[in-house]
Amino acid sequence: MILRLLRIRGHSLFPDFREGDYVLVAGFPFPSGKIRVGDKVVFRQPRYGLLIKRVHQLLENGHALDVRGTQIDSTDSRNFGPVPLSQVLGKVIWHIRQKDT
Amino acid sequence: MFHKLTQKLDQSFQIDPVDAHCDIPCGIYDPHHALIGALTVIRMVDLINDVVKTHGEGSTAEFINSMARYIAVKEEHAELTKHEIRVIYGDFIKDAHIEKYPQLPGLVHKIMQLGSKARQTVNRETALDLLAAVNEFAEIFWAIKGFETKVVKSPFPVSEDMVLPIL
Repeated sequence: MILRLLRIRGHSLFPDFREGDYVLVAGFPFPSGKIRVGDKVVFRQPRYGLLIKRVHQLLENGHALDVRGTQIDSTDSRNFGPVPLSQVLGKVIWHIRQKDT
Repeated sequence: MFHKLTQKLDQSFQIDPVDAHCDIPCGIYDPHHALIGALTVIRMVDLINDVVKTHGEGSTAEFINSMARYIAVKEEHAELTKHEIRVIYGDFIKDAHIEKYPQLPGLVHKIMQLGSKARQTVNRETALDLLAAVNEFAEIFWAIKGFETKVVKSPFPVSEDMVLPIL
């Protein structure tokens, strides 16, 4: 299992995730089993690069994900369609929040 | 506490960012800045060549200062041109547009390469090629938006073609 530490940039998952928060991301195989609806996943989208989104629906028997942000203007599956599992780097297993300012 | 520790780690080792990307859905996109960038690159090439003619290749303080300023602006505007085209291509252009204009990916790649070449060289032909490619992109962009275009001569010291929408 590969672990990655990443810094959040952008506001698409606000207020759950804020710019400057950190996430620890676990690659396959996940310690907690399969990807489920509600998981936050990190994936490499060919046009937009490395993105983090919430899993909204599992598609094609779990081989593709419909992902969403929390904002009306979030760039997500509504723009770029389903995310194949092959593009998924992992899911968030630890969210390191900044203190409220 | 964990956040502060991670922040210190980030400052030392530069943790990669992951984008929680949002687009403001105002749809305000325009290749105008890219065109101005490309025209500025041509102007800087002209000014660099002029200052060499005026001062020879001597290393006077004035020559070095002028040359440094022209090069800096050429660098900045070639990069601005690339940036503006990347944003429109990444955020505005959709698959259906590429199906209708299959030359778009190749054209964008060409602009990226010409932008880099314009930075690396002092070559008027390259700068003109960059402008021509950006004009071609502008024509497609405005067609997608449903506007006809016109070609005008830029009203600047560099008088070259600019593709503008007929609004």
